[in-house]
Amino acid sequence: MKKRLIISLCILFLLFTIGVGITIFYIYKTTRDLETVVNLHRVEIIRQNLVINTQTVQTHLYTIGTAFGSEVDVIVEHVSDLDKSVQSCRGCHHSKELTERLDRLSDMVEQYKDALSALITTTANKERVERLRLVAITLGNTLLSMVQEMAFTADQRLYKKTINALRDINNSKIILFITLSTAFITALLVAIIFTRQITKSIGMLISATKELKAGKLGVIANYPYKDEFRDLSEAFNDMSLTLKKNHDELLGFARRLSHLYRVTIPLYSLSEAGMPYKDLTEIVKELFDARDSKILLKDNGRFIDIMDKEISIPQKEMEALYLYYKKEPAIFRKELPPPIGDEYIQTISGSALFIWIKEQEKLSGLLMVYNKTSGDFDDTDLNIAAILSNIISVSFINVKLMENLRAQMKELKETQEQLIQAAKLAALGEMASNIAHELNNPLTSIIGFSELSQEETDIETIKKDLKIIEQESIRAKEIVNQLLEFARKRSIKIGDVNLNILLKEVLQLASLQLKHANIQVIEEFDEIPTIKGDHNQLKQVFLNMINNAIFAMPEGGTLTLRTGKIDDKVFVDVEDTGHGIPPEILQRIFEPFFTTKKEKGTGLGLSISYKIIESHGGKIEVKSEVNKGTRFTVLLPINLAS
Amino acid sequence: MMKMVFAFGIFFSLVIIPDRCLSQDYSKNEILIGLIPEENIFRQMDRYKPLGEYLTKKLKIKTRFTILSRYGDIIDRFMARNLDGAFFGALTAVLAIEKLGVEPIVRIQNIDGTSTAESYIIVRKESGIRDVKGMKGKTIAFVDRATATGFVFAIAYLKEHGIANPLNYFKEYYFTGSHDSALLSVLDGRADIGVAKSTIVKERIRRDPFIENEISIIARSVPLPDVTLCLSKRLDRRLKEEIKEILLTMDKEPEGITVLQKLGASKFITASKEDFVPVYNLLKKADINIRSYSYR
Repeated sequence: MKKRLIISLCILFLLFTIGVGITIFYIYKTTRDLETVVNLHRVEIIRQNLVINTQTVQTHLYTIGTAFGSEVDVIVEHVSDLDKSVQSCRGCHHSKELTERLDRLSDMVEQYKDALSALITTTANKERVERLRLVAITLGNTLLSMVQEMAFTADQRLYKKTINALRDINNSKIILFITLSTAFITALLVAIIFTRQITKSIGMLISATKELKAGKLGVIANYPYKDEFRDLSEAFNDMSLTLKKNHDELLGFARRLSHLYRVTIPLYSLSEAGMPYKDLTEIVKELFDARDSKILLKDNGRFIDIMDKEISIPQKEMEALYLYYKKEPAIFRKELPPPIGDEYIQTISGSALFIWIKEQEKLSGLLMVYNKTSGDFDDTDLNIAAILSNIISVSFINVKLMENLRAQMKELKETQEQLIQAAKLAALGEMASNIAHELNNPLTSIIGFSELSQEETDIETIKKDLKIIEQESIRAKEIVNQLLEFARKRSIKIGDVNLNILLKEVLQLASLQLKHANIQVIEEFDEIPTIKGDHNQLKQVFLNMINNAIFAMPEGGTLTLRTGKIDDKVFVDVEDTGHGIPPEILQRIFEPFFTTKKEKGTGLGLSISYKIIESHGGKIEVKSEVNKGTRFTVLLPINLAS
Repeated sequence: MMKMVFAFGIFFSLVIIPDRCLSQDYSKNEILIGLIPEENIFRQMDRYKPLGEYLTKKLKIKTRFTILSRYGDIIDRFMARNLDGAFFGALTAVLAIEKLGVEPIVRIQNIDGTSTAESYIIVRKESGIRDVKGMKGKTIAFVDRATATGFVFAIAYLKEHGIANPLNYFKEYYFTGSHDSALLSVLDGRADIGVAKSTIVKERIRRDPFIENEISIIARSVPLPDVTLCLSKRLDRRLKEEIKEILLTMDKEPEGITVLQKLGASKFITASKEDFVPVYNLLKKADINIRSYSYR
């Protein structure tokens, strides 16, 4: 195509050059002809002037010396014009013959001038003057005849030259038209041919490209001609085939990745010993495009097929094999077996892929893949096998780690429960003296009225006393029941909790303490929705906070309990006007066993409370100023997250 | 203060304003100079035309030449056409000085270094005319009555040789009007004897050396002043001086030299009335009283 294009352009260039050359030649020729014609016409004008001037001077001849004669200056001027006309003729290039005629004409003019001058200046008798006039007239007429003859001849030549020039101009026009038309038509034909060829070739490639774009990888563009488009189509075909090959490879990779993923996900998500071996062997078969696979795991000095317990390899043999293959996945080939192996290994026909299952570099199992459906195992299989080996090994480790974690979690849970119970009892302990005092009043009444009733004889009075004893006993029982209820070790029970009611119960528990500590309680309870939570644990949290507030106000003060709702949360403020908490202590108050109460506290109250609120999806915020008071804000979600 | 301004004005007009500026201020639009037909009038006009253009350029006043058909017309035409000056021959110059009061300004110095011309009496060699005696009964071609070199010398010569009435001595006489016509009349046989100026004859011989073999000079005059430019007494003196200065210095510059070459001169030299003493002597020999001379 390039060669044809260059040749065509060269031909076009040549045609245009020839056309331009011809055009220039004919323009030059035409202008030269026109110039000749113009010059001839100019010469014709000179000749006419010559005739006119000669005739004018001749006219003067008849009037010189008469009353009608012109001034000498006028005659001189006309003769000068006549002379100029002749000299201008002589100034041009002429043929030898014409030059001679012009020379003769010039001589004749000189003679004429002499005769004229003689006639003008001579003073003589009439006959002599007339003779001079006759001589001048004769010379003038001869001159006129010569000029007219030359003018006639020149006219003939001018006519011929004009005809020739016009013919040449006409021919030039025709040749120019033909040349330019030929060049234009040739250029047009070349353009059409090339355009058609190029568009056809491009169309073919576009069509193939569209098929490629539509997903028909490997499509071939069959370009029939041998040119640059052939190279382009071949390059396109190479690209198409390469794309198909790469696409197929990618598909293969994707398929394998998919299988690997299918293997990986369940293995990584294994949380307890219960490996899906059957599924694993099936997926591995698909992954390596093999007909069979087996898993042998270590058990009591042998590696036993988990699907068929009859098949096993001694641990010693297996580990020797493991070391022989340098602990790396390996391809076993029947025709080139390893020097180590037992009877089972010897029974393997064809090739097999050995994928080691390891625990801390110690062999714990073998995954074998047999008989690849197409071809043999290759390096890619080995790479995948290495990944698979790691994944399976890790999953085995994960299972064991999960088992350990479960045991530890169970232990931790028991410890936490014990801690909570201890904290609960500690809180009760802190209330013990007040509880004792509370119980002391009904018991004193019971004892007093018991003694009085023993001394009374009136049955009615005894009945009244017994009634009082009964009421005081019931009151004491209620106090004990409340304590038992709080102290009872119970499991977590999530239910609807109304925090306003819960806070009133806590205040009831702490009422005697508050009273003895001379603390005024302000309840600013807003209408709040019930939340999801463990009633008993939350009660423990707020009791602990109220106990802390009482401890912070030994000289009495104000305890404000405030509830409210913010967005999807409810809050409880427990605010005191006590001595406050210094900043260096404030940042440690949620640490376990950190206390400022010395022997009176365990240091578990706030840390347990923090954990409880955290387990409810909430949080505790503290603001405190020394000598002004402290405010604990508990934020809890209305709906407990799962 | 006014006195100072006046004094400065006088000083400025006398000293600061150059003569050249003054010369630009002539009231004339054209200077017209006459030519006597000493040769073919067309050729003569061609010779003088470049000089007219040169003067026009230098003076910045159009300077034109007019040919005078006959010598005898010169005085009348000078007055009739109100000429500013003319290139006169020796006798016409004397006539003009006497009758018109013109002032000789410059004379033409010929290529050969002469500024004078002689009068030749010429005959064809084969005519057999060798002296005054041989002239008797022949046809003679004079130039004009108003020429020293074309007529007066021949009369004086004949009178010196004892011919009391020279014009009756010939069968026929006529006036060609120009010196070269007189020569041509002899050459082509229209006249047996011709009287013409030496400069014209030499110029003709220069152009056509065969002429020298065809003619014989049987008498020649003393050198007489050749063509002299005389300017009218009415012309502004400063303009006269300027024209004189231009003409006297034109041989110092290339353009002027070219013009002089076309004129057939080497330069212009100063002319004066004293130059014409030989003419007056010649007139005396010819018994011609210039004041009463009928030159027409």
